[in-house]
Amino acid sequence: MAHVTFVHGIANKPPPADLLRIWREALANASDALPLGDLGVTSELVYWADLLYEKPDDNVAAHEGVLENTPEALDGGGGAPPPTPRSAEEAAFLEALRGRMTSLSDAEIEAAPPAIPGSPQGTLERVPLPWFLKKPIMNTFLRDVHHYLFDVEFAPPGRTPMPIQRTIRERFVTALGSPQVTRPHVVISHSMGTVIAYDCLKRVAECSGVDGLITLGSPLGLDEVQDKLQPGWSRPDGFPHDKVAGGWTNLYDRLDPVCGFDPELANDYRRGSAAVVADIAVQNDGAWRHSTTKYLRQPRLIAALREMLQIR
Amino acid sequence: MNGEDQDVEAVRARAKSLLAALRGVCGDDEVREAKACVERLRDQRDYELMGRLAEAVSRRDPKDATNRRLYAQYLIDTGHVTAAVDLLQPLARRVPKGDKELAEVTGLLGRAHKQIFFDAGDKSAVGARDALKHAVAMYRAEYERDRKNTWHGVNLVALLTRGRAFGSRVAQDLDARTIAQEVIANLDERDPWRLPTLAEASLGLGDWDIVDRNVHEYVTAKGTTAFQVASTLRQFTEVWDLEREGERGRALVDMLRAKLMRLPGGVVRLEPAELQRLRQQEVPYEGRLEAILGTYGAQTYQWWKTGVERAASVAAVRQKMGGRMGTAFLVRAGDLQREPADELLVLTNYHVVNAESAHGGIRPEEAEVVFEAADANKVYGVAELLWSSPPERHDASLLRLGAPVTGVAPLPIATTLPVIDDAARVYIIGHPGGRDLAFSFQDNELIDHEGAPTGKPGTEGVCRVHYRAPTEGGSSGSPVFNSRLWQVIALHHMGGKIGVRKLNGKEGTYGANEGIAMHSIVAAMKG
Repeated sequence: MAHVTFVHGIANKPPPADLLRIWREALANASDALPLGDLGVTSELVYWADLLYEKPDDNVAAHEGVLENTPEALDGGGGAPPPTPRSAEEAAFLEALRGRMTSLSDAEIEAAPPAIPGSPQGTLERVPLPWFLKKPIMNTFLRDVHHYLFDVEFAPPGRTPMPIQRTIRERFVTALGSPQVTRPHVVISHSMGTVIAYDCLKRVAECSGVDGLITLGSPLGLDEVQDKLQPGWSRPDGFPHDKVAGGWTNLYDRLDPVCGFDPELANDYRRGSAAVVADIAVQNDGAWRHSTTKYLRQPRLIAALREMLQIR
Repeated sequence: MNGEDQDVEAVRARAKSLLAALRGVCGDDEVREAKACVERLRDQRDYELMGRLAEAVSRRDPKDATNRRLYAQYLIDTGHVTAAVDLLQPLARRVPKGDKELAEVTGLLGRAHKQIFFDAGDKSAVGARDALKHAVAMYRAEYERDRKNTWHGVNLVALLTRGRAFGSRVAQDLDARTIAQEVIANLDERDPWRLPTLAEASLGLGDWDIVDRNVHEYVTAKGTTAFQVASTLRQFTEVWDLEREGERGRALVDMLRAKLMRLPGGVVRLEPAELQRLRQQEVPYEGRLEAILGTYGAQTYQWWKTGVERAASVAAVRQKMGGRMGTAFLVRAGDLQREPADELLVLTNYHVVNAESAHGGIRPEEAEVVFEAADANKVYGVAELLWSSPPERHDASLLRLGAPVTGVAPLPIATTLPVIDDAARVYIIGHPGGRDLAFSFQDNELIDHEGAPTGKPGTEGVCRVHYRAPTEGGSSGSPVFNSRLWQVIALHHMGGKIGVRKLNGKEGTYGANEGIAMHSIVAAMKG
């Protein structure tokens, strides 16, 4: 038996059961199919979108990695406003992170002409999408990452505010310690989920260990993120060796805007100064390269997961 | 059990109690409820119970036109078409003009005649020609009375197109293509059958690109059910005869089968000759698979083709000079941890073949095995019963055949049982009830099993698996496959029973099929 814990990334998501099903389907529909259920591999999802969004997205199909015509289909759903910094440190963090996605000012974005079919706006930018799609993605990315890394007390309207980082950490730690977990146990995280997984495995003492870690489209290479993972992270000893018994495989697409300009992690998360993270460059299809399901269908992801789960 | 399956069981249970009530003393409320229940049984294709309840309601309220029409539908769906015509004709005369029931009754009369026409071996025979003429007249009358009767319209399109292909000169004043365009224009967005009707009407336009696009919209729509796809498949094969319309038509039908099998409750039945043809059929190009079946179209189709290949390894166990006794399947000795590892053996139920002829089974020397999807004419005798375990344990018999099996691949055996969750399905390939030569690919919901990580076998060394299909049981000795890899997880031994005790110490009973996990059979063989 074996177990997989998934951790999702930025933006609003469908209900947990639907999201887990979509991700498992993506693995099962890969060219080298890996149907976890058939293989006796149990799985669970660390779901946290409910902490930041009022209700799950009921447009489940938008999350299947097929459509690319709405913010929901591009990890930008939920209508998150840009975060308001509470300190100079937060302001600097947000400005730097924003700079990873665009060099345009808010005024220039507002003044951008409407999209011309066949010639998407922002082609020269990191995210070659029209601004009506790109802006919600950017706002969502900034808001969600900021609220986690600065442990902002927050709740959607009508609910009691909760410390975002502490609450998500609790959920992650609970999932990893669940009696349902069997070994080998692999964590597959995407986008901001990679930050959560790393943060817990490296910096939360009571977190249980795992046998393998997979990160997809991770912003962990960004200096701004690394700065917020201290104490705990350091370049020569960044690998979470106390909690990750096996390997760490990191998949990225060079056109995935969330990975930014620094998609490779081996140089930044060393073990005894040795580069041990397996960075794998892949090419997702379509315009939106950050899609979870596109990463999950990659043959090299399947191969890495098979090896970690010890499935022939 | 998921919500849909619970509903199916609940309707069946209620139908049975209403049936008992109608036979005794009951009030108007129960009669009213029974009438609604007949329709629900129709929707879940529970024809046997539907017919009994419709009969009981008819005795209470013989003038209820809707119930009589549903009774006629039961007769058609169970092959009693002329009896249905005899019931419907006076009903059509009796229902007042303007009553919406009249469109249904007339349409059903059209359907009965249509069935007679398409069932006829000789389409030029007088009886067939008359049936076509009547069917066209029925559908035409209702369609021309109200263009919103799109299901009458789409049937009219099919009959005119197909009838003319057979040389019929019926209703020469009508143009099928024009009617198809009208039907498409008049479809109601709220009609749950809008997409299936749109897909079928597209066939009448004779433009494959439009057909593909509309079938795609239909099969990828949220909420499309196995019942709808099965109905469309029946129309496409029996009425439109698309499998004889060239490669493109054959591929479309096969893609619909693939889609149907991916839907909860999907059942596909195929004659051995059809299976043989499908094994040879060329795979449609990937672009068309995706255009029709969606993003995972190529994978869905490949999965279905693998299932078709697996069927070639499923055999009928027959009694010499007698009938079919059950199902068996080919396995590699090494996968059962036996030597010589490459020898091909056959596994079936003890209650199908055993040394003592016990539990209704036959002795090995009386048995013959035929892989009908591979070569229906090649009959294998049984040389030796290598191992067996009685019904209260593994209900299994391992057979060595009298001659080496060639041209058939052994089925792969799963090393573990699937995880049980809301989405877990298993598939059976077999011959349900032994009623005909058809293979049945049957989707089942995996309910429970006694395997790892949490299972607690009720009998030491025996690991049972429970699964259920909405309508079918049977298939003793069939392989039970996991849902994506088509690996055998269990040997099916008990089907469609109600009152099966739940597994793992849980209280109560339910309706379930039961199989024995392959890993526990392999362990028992090792001793």
